[in-house]
Amino acid sequence: MDNTIYRLSGVSKIYRKGNREIPAVRNLDLDIREGEWLAIQGKTGHGKTTLLQLLGGLDHPTHGDIQFAGTDPFAREVRAGSFGFIFQTFNLIPTLSAQENVEAALIPLKIHLSERRQRVLAALESVGLADRAQHLPSELSGGQQQRVAIARALVKDPKVLLADEPTGNLDEDTRDEIIGLIESLWRERGLTLILVSHDSSVVRRAQRIGVMSKGRLTIRQDTRTL
Amino acid sequence: MFFLTYLRRELRRRMRQAIFIGLGLALGIGLVITVMGASSGVKQAQSKVLADLYGIGTDLTVTVKPQVAKNPGTGQNFRISNGPGSSGPSGQICTNGTCKALKGGDVIDTLAAANYGVLGADEAAKIARLHDVKNAVGNLLLTDNRIVIPTSNNGPLPQPSNVSVDGVDPAHQNAGPLSNAALAKGRALSSADKYAALVDSNYAASHSLKLGDTVTLANQKFTIVGILTQPEAASPPNIYVPLKVAQALSIDPATNKALTSDVDTIYVTAASAADIAEVQHEISELIPGATVTSSADLANQVTGSLASTAKLANELGKWLAILVLIAAFAVASLLTIAAVTRRIPEFGTLKALGWRSSRIVSQVLGESVGTGICGGLAGIGLGFAGVAIINKIAPKLSATVPSASGPRDGGFATSVGGPGPVQQQFNSAANAHATVSVPMSASVTVAAILLAVLLAIAGGLLAGSFGGWRAARLRPAAALTKVA
Repeated sequence: MDNTIYRLSGVSKIYRKGNREIPAVRNLDLDIREGEWLAIQGKTGHGKTTLLQLLGGLDHPTHGDIQFAGTDPFAREVRAGSFGFIFQTFNLIPTLSAQENVEAALIPLKIHLSERRQRVLAALESVGLADRAQHLPSELSGGQQQRVAIARALVKDPKVLLADEPTGNLDEDTRDEIIGLIESLWRERGLTLILVSHDSSVVRRAQRIGVMSKGRLTIRQDTRTL
Repeated sequence: MFFLTYLRRELRRRMRQAIFIGLGLALGIGLVITVMGASSGVKQAQSKVLADLYGIGTDLTVTVKPQVAKNPGTGQNFRISNGPGSSGPSGQICTNGTCKALKGGDVIDTLAAANYGVLGADEAAKIARLHDVKNAVGNLLLTDNRIVIPTSNNGPLPQPSNVSVDGVDPAHQNAGPLSNAALAKGRALSSADKYAALVDSNYAASHSLKLGDTVTLANQKFTIVGILTQPEAASPPNIYVPLKVAQALSIDPATNKALTSDVDTIYVTAASAADIAEVQHEISELIPGATVTSSADLANQVTGSLASTAKLANELGKWLAILVLIAAFAVASLLTIAAVTRRIPEFGTLKALGWRSSRIVSQVLGESVGTGICGGLAGIGLGFAGVAIINKIAPKLSATVPSASGPRDGGFATSVGGPGPVQQQFNSAANAHATVSVPMSASVTVAAILLAVLLAIAGGLLAGSFGGWRAARLRPAAALTKVA
């Protein structure tokens, strides 16, 4: 598979509502290289998030096959170790501090407490929030909450970062700040970044841009060779 | 560590709901403890009544029904009448159909086995030889009936005096009613004693008797060598005399024969509580027609407010507690499911982070059990309060119990014989019941506290497992969709 990390062949995802079938992803063939940044653009309800969930092993395709770095992407252990998720609504646990929210990502990896704490502080430092480690999400701004979420996604040193509208809930300045942070982390860590957004200013930073329309993905731009 | 931090923070976040669930469980558990406390109080009261009635360490009593004279003329009876126009009361005493006229100033003093039929002297020994029997001791429970025939016709007929007497074997004073007695003054009976008596302190006080005085039974004087204090319950005997003397002086009213070597009650101690039923069965086979009564049988015969309270605690109280518990468990389960539903995005995120379903379920269970334990602790507090309230407001319970040793009602009974003379006659058949008053002392037992802790954990687990089951079934993608 040379440096291809994902290979999707004939992947479809069809939801059923009563007797109705709603195809969210249709017959998708796609290769994603290790370390590339793929942005997926598209209107709401055209299958972007579904595709991201399939790539993150959160859901199984109805048809087709997804290969991921020679492992089963749907295995919990793979999800725990290889994928980092960033969500539009941050999805932080409101009762846990920033530090504890980041630590939650390491719980399935069964890492010793002292190492866990070290990695958490390093992750918070990398997003510039070491001084807010003990703050609850409600005590942080939207941008800060998303930084905590980014730290949570990166603390386990994943192979792939899957970001679903990471700037969707942020103002313009914060959006640029967060997307700049994601981009710099992608470069520093050599991550494979798959980012879903309907915001062109975010998407155009990616190496490859695909557009989802009615469940079909069309690659519009590919700057990987540049 | 992380588990506990998460658990603590979540409980704090949903404090109001946790308090509501905890209070529901506390109410149910408090009610269970209160009912158990009341039930144990009633049981203690029953045990006290039965122990007083039975004697400490006695498991079974063996008696036989009194024989009914085949010929109405047999046995002993007397009749005294205050007939019109006569110069004084007239009467006669008849023994086995042979009557003798009575005159004013005559004293009739008989010591008779009034309630029970007689058992042979060797029956106690036979029972003692049975397997699983630790001890069997025969007693002779008698009534001394005494009346003085008046010399004049004026005024009402005199009331006879009845004194309950227990003939006891001085070598075996640790069975039957005497085992409950404490020597207040003097000494116990010894094997060398003949006309010696132990007297109940209440009887001694009401008759102004003291050590060294004499009491007359069947026209025989006995010297008081000891004064006893005895439990009030079941009207204990007034006087204890050596068994052999009692046998020599007493008569069986049915046959008018002296009870030379007979007894009328055998007190049996089984080798262990588990053997009681078996021993009861064996004795029934050994002595056909015998009434073998266990404390459980007696407990069933107890009536009055004690029995009503026992019924109330055991039936209504138990079911009420179970219903409240079921309601509390149901509410706790529903609220936990509702809480899990609200936390679907949170659990979806944790699943996306790679958390095992079991870890999420254990988190939910941990929170529920934590709430349950807090509810359990509050329930124990409520239980103590409930028991304290019962002890504060509960009136003394009355128990009407069949007497195993008390004085026989009757002995002499007054009857009105139509328009003619007022008569008194000997009445050998009598019912023996006594009403005693016992305080109810409810208490929280260790078993009740353990049960409370178990119920609290069970309630928490039940509620948590419903919520956990819902959390475990979540598909991460579906759960995360709820966020959007």
